[in-house]
Amino acid sequence: MAESDQFNGRLGLIFASIGAAIGTGNIWRFPRMVGANGGGTFLIPWLIFLFIWSIPLVIAEYAMGKRSRTGTIGTFRIFAGKRFAWMGLWTAWISTAIGFYYAVVSGWTLKYFQLGITGALTGEDVDTTEVWNAFLQSPGQVIFFQFIVILLVLGAIWKGAKAIEKVNFYLMISLFALLFLTLFLSLWMDFSDGTLDGALFMFTVDPDMLFEPEVWINGLSQSAWSCSAGMGMCITYAVYMRKDEDTVLNAFTMGLANNSISIIAGLAVLSAIFAVNPDPLATVTGGSSAITFLALPEVFAQAPGGAWGPLFMMAGFFLALSFAALTSMISTVELCVRNFVDHGYERERSVLITGIALFLFGLPSAVLWVKLDSAGVAFPEFLEVQDHIWGYGLMFSGLFIAFSIWKYGYIKWRSEVEAGTAPDGFSGYLGFGVSAFRDDFINTGDNDMEVGRWWDVLIYIAFPILFIVLMGSYFTDMIANTENVWSPSNPKGLSIILLFWGVVAITFMMLNKYLIARPLYRNIPEGADVDISTLPGGSDELVGKVGDVIAGFEHLTPDAVMDAELAA
Amino acid sequence: MTSTAAPSIRTTRPSFGFLIALPLLLSLASPVAGSTLVQEPSTGDAPEDIWSEDYINMIFPWADEGERILQFKEYHSYETMKQRMQRLAEENPDIFEFHEGLNGGVNARGETTNADTYEGWYYGYSSPWLKITKDVEGGEYNPFVGDNGNYADRPDVLIVGNHHAREWMSVQVPIMQMEVIAFSYNNIGYDNDGDGRVDEDGWGDDNGDGILDDDGDCLALDSSVQDSNGDGTPCGPGDLGVDEDYSEQWITDLVDSREIYLVPMLNVDGNIYDREVFCPAPAWESCPSGGWRKNLRNNGPQVLPDLNEQVDEDCDGVDLNRNYQYEWGFPLGATLPGAPGTCTPAEDERLGISNNDVYTGPFDTSDNDGDGLINEDNVDGEDDDNDGQTDEDWNGGNSEPETKFIQDLTEMNDDVGDGASEFRSTLTHHSYSELILYPWGHCQGCQTPDHDQLIFHGDQLAEMTQYTNMQSSDLYPTTGDFCDWHYGVHGSYCYTSEIGTAFHQNEVDIDHIAVRNLGTGFYMAEIADAPRERADLAIANISQQNYLKQPNAVDIPDEGDIPIDVCVSNAFPYSVENSVVKWRQVKPSRLQSDFGPREWSTSPWESVQLDVVGGNACSLSNGNGTLLRAMVPIGETTTGELHYKAQVATLGGADFYQYPDDGDYYVLDVTYRAAFGSVAGALFTFSLVATFVWGGLAVALRTMLGTDEDVDLTQPETAEAKDAAIENDGHED
Repeated sequence: MAESDQFNGRLGLIFASIGAAIGTGNIWRFPRMVGANGGGTFLIPWLIFLFIWSIPLVIAEYAMGKRSRTGTIGTFRIFAGKRFAWMGLWTAWISTAIGFYYAVVSGWTLKYFQLGITGALTGEDVDTTEVWNAFLQSPGQVIFFQFIVILLVLGAIWKGAKAIEKVNFYLMISLFALLFLTLFLSLWMDFSDGTLDGALFMFTVDPDMLFEPEVWINGLSQSAWSCSAGMGMCITYAVYMRKDEDTVLNAFTMGLANNSISIIAGLAVLSAIFAVNPDPLATVTGGSSAITFLALPEVFAQAPGGAWGPLFMMAGFFLALSFAALTSMISTVELCVRNFVDHGYERERSVLITGIALFLFGLPSAVLWVKLDSAGVAFPEFLEVQDHIWGYGLMFSGLFIAFSIWKYGYIKWRSEVEAGTAPDGFSGYLGFGVSAFRDDFINTGDNDMEVGRWWDVLIYIAFPILFIVLMGSYFTDMIANTENVWSPSNPKGLSIILLFWGVVAITFMMLNKYLIARPLYRNIPEGADVDISTLPGGSDELVGKVGDVIAGFEHLTPDAVMDAELAA
Repeated sequence: MTSTAAPSIRTTRPSFGFLIALPLLLSLASPVAGSTLVQEPSTGDAPEDIWSEDYINMIFPWADEGERILQFKEYHSYETMKQRMQRLAEENPDIFEFHEGLNGGVNARGETTNADTYEGWYYGYSSPWLKITKDVEGGEYNPFVGDNGNYADRPDVLIVGNHHAREWMSVQVPIMQMEVIAFSYNNIGYDNDGDGRVDEDGWGDDNGDGILDDDGDCLALDSSVQDSNGDGTPCGPGDLGVDEDYSEQWITDLVDSREIYLVPMLNVDGNIYDREVFCPAPAWESCPSGGWRKNLRNNGPQVLPDLNEQVDEDCDGVDLNRNYQYEWGFPLGATLPGAPGTCTPAEDERLGISNNDVYTGPFDTSDNDGDGLINEDNVDGEDDDNDGQTDEDWNGGNSEPETKFIQDLTEMNDDVGDGASEFRSTLTHHSYSELILYPWGHCQGCQTPDHDQLIFHGDQLAEMTQYTNMQSSDLYPTTGDFCDWHYGVHGSYCYTSEIGTAFHQNEVDIDHIAVRNLGTGFYMAEIADAPRERADLAIANISQQNYLKQPNAVDIPDEGDIPIDVCVSNAFPYSVENSVVKWRQVKPSRLQSDFGPREWSTSPWESVQLDVVGGNACSLSNGNGTLLRAMVPIGETTTGELHYKAQVATLGGADFYQYPDDGDYYVLDVTYRAAFGSVAGALFTFSLVATFVWGGLAVALRTMLGTDEDVDLTQPETAEAKDAAIENDGHED
């Protein structure tokens, strides 16, 4: 009989999840957000939203994946019902579309590690803008590093969960070590004048700023993106959970670890900038663009410790950044591959196809529309347009997860009303509907910590409010700040976003019937209790588990067997 | 472990790869904003090295390349012009209001008119025009004129094209001004020439070095390409790189503070007739020298007006620019204005022999003031009959629908209710001969009371166009022309610009000639506040002394507001009341990309009053000046860019002395001036955050590890270890 593909231990899952959560956003976006939003003031909304937005969603994702034991498409097919399998495809697509250009960005970080370790950034007369422009404007270079990234990622996930676990473990440990090294050097730099300006700024709350709505919106968006909550990553990794995994503890660990890394990276970056820059805030919030690749090398070049300090700092920081990018890339690819494997495709083939697609579809982002801005700094406009289009599409994945939860609560309550085991009316709904998902899938007895009513409140009330605030502020901001925002020919306009979202969503809805005509193989560990009969997709005859022979699709099973055997 | 079953690869349904690829293929097709790498600006000698391809080919940004008319590669007709005006008015409802003719009512002379009064004799159209000002839908409504957006504190300017039907460039120039306003309004910092710099070369000679090409980009070209318009003058106006990147901010400020009345085609009747009948296309070949000039008044042989009769090319029409009332009908020089023409057939009317092209229109035989006398006090600014009234019974003029339109638009546009016209500056476009003409036109060897001042502004217009500035009558004496009437009756500073080198200029020359003349309309709008005072202050070299302190001279205090200083000449009649420093902040946009350069959002301009700083003189190039200071409220925690400019008003009513004087603004880098924080507060927050994040993480990890034996990932994986792990799980389950 076929064996399922699983992580070995708890730490394996944790490291993989943290790897997915920690990306370049923690290291290059977070310090900038701290700088632009009043230093320590920003930490308050950012921390609050970790508990209000990110962790509840991650709990939901783990709970869903742990029960469905399939990737995003299968999970939505089971949890939201057959008609909603396309939501899983949306989730998978957004993540993959982001992966197309994220591989390019990861390539940049790798290139900067190479530049750092070879000392190309530490010389006397290095103009970081020139280095950046020269790199971005040489398509061969950009594509080469993009290719290397994809090769590394494919190598890491080729063999399935156990390999992912190991790679993430080593990368994450190294990332911690490298960041601490950088932090140490940064604090040393900052303290050389007797004060720790950077740390002071980062931990000082400005009461006035605390009442700025922008600070709160920025805190929410940083928390929403940085943690990867609601994006399907945790659904995917939950497929490899052992049967008795503690989803709640995992969610808290992952969220807190993510924020820990942000704080360390933020402190390292801000301390370094405050140490050498006469107007550090202008560097962080204004002034030079592409702070990571322009400002930081300049700052790091002034690190103490003779010739070695700057070299260590530069190489260490960019290697850490590369690792953060790579682990996120791994989860992106795995999310896509998992969906293929669920539907009876051979793992190796799926990995290869995904890799080739990533490379090919990433090429335009790597080389197209590389322009100079008014300050003479190169920027990849095609890549930005891609980010513009798909970045906020991620939010819908979270909405779909919430939708599945709301839907389950309602139908569970209705069925209990029918059966006479639950009262009708709003109080009945509150008692038996709202808490249904939590009772059935979160508090399964595997968790050390019982999840209380607070989770329902957050998912049913806080989530939709915050979702509207986030989307609303994004679009108002765009409409207010973009020229010709409604013109469909403006690649940074609103029409283009709505057009792509609309076309993709409608296409996926139309493709839904093909998705559900295909069998789904769940990756169930031995002895696990993964009953899905109460779920909307529970009666789907085409849903089986790895190794099952499903009528009409006998030809798919041998592949699946082999896949599982290889994985073992 | 091996498998005996050969893996069979069969796909019978649309593959997932396809599903995933589909949207991406769509995204690859997303609009291409331009895929070429931007070239570094250089001082190379080829246009391609400096400017964008569009600019080199004079492809204007307000329309697609293929739109020949909108690209000024073909002439507008009445229809296309009207459509375009209506379209722009629809698209820019905040600044453009489209009109045709006037509503009518009881005019300033007590005559009753209606909308029909202003319709052309023959085709029956009224002249289309645009009212241009900020919030044009607001302000006062003028029921006679029919326009909104009348503000007592905004100076008005009237710009009229095409008094004479065949002078086609006189239509194109105001239309280009309209396009530029629509495109530039609030489109601050547009890089018109695509060289990577913005607003680096406005109209005229900004720095007073006598060279129009302020940024020197045309002069940096190889000499073989410096004369792109082929007029024989290298780097002259209309050549690529000359006055090509004007300030959109300045244009926006003008629209915000002025009411611009733009009449691109006054003589619709004549223009249609010239275009469709008199000079078959291409007109520059069928009518190389002549063309139809007048309107289409029916001068006979039947009783006037005889609307059923076809145009009689031997005698019909009135020269609209001889039909205004001031000193109307004085036969001067070579022209015989009193008769319409011989009204006898000639062989080729296009030669313009038998028809009198400067016919002033019929004599007025009515008793305009009802005193029983006829034509006893002609319009000349004097009380000819000593009855205490001036110009009350004219002997002719303003008899045509088109001139009546100008008359009533001028006389009924009275925002402040003082009975005087609001148009303190007026401009009329004509063609041709590359001249700027100022009043008088009706007398030779005579001077207006504003002679020096009119010459001064005329010189400014002549500088930016490189035309010749002269008194109108020095070209040839006229009678009843637009500018004599506007200046003589309404005291308006009025100029006639004679555009180009032909009536029917070849269409290949439309674009660069329009560009060459674009600045004049804006200049007239600028000086509409107090043209005489402006000229006086400039002639005395007073206003030129004033300056706004540059960013490097701004002293940013350690705390509090930032002082921005303007130094004005002691002889400059500044008015603190309306003088302000305008400032705004630039903040990083929340929408910026995580991958590339930052995007910025600019907050709207705000104003701070300028005030005299007691006992604090400042130095000018010719002595001491008065220091005016505005305190810009920028907090200590602010960092980033501060944009600032000053707008100084005078006691004489000028409100638009802008500094820096190219209409732009200065950029001051403001650093963070507050303390970065307190040690105690930071320690407290740090311990709070550390407790939450790291404490929470520690608890979570401890709980997790405490309940689970983990596999040592650093050890090679063995079957035993794996089994043990599974067993372990089983036990704990």
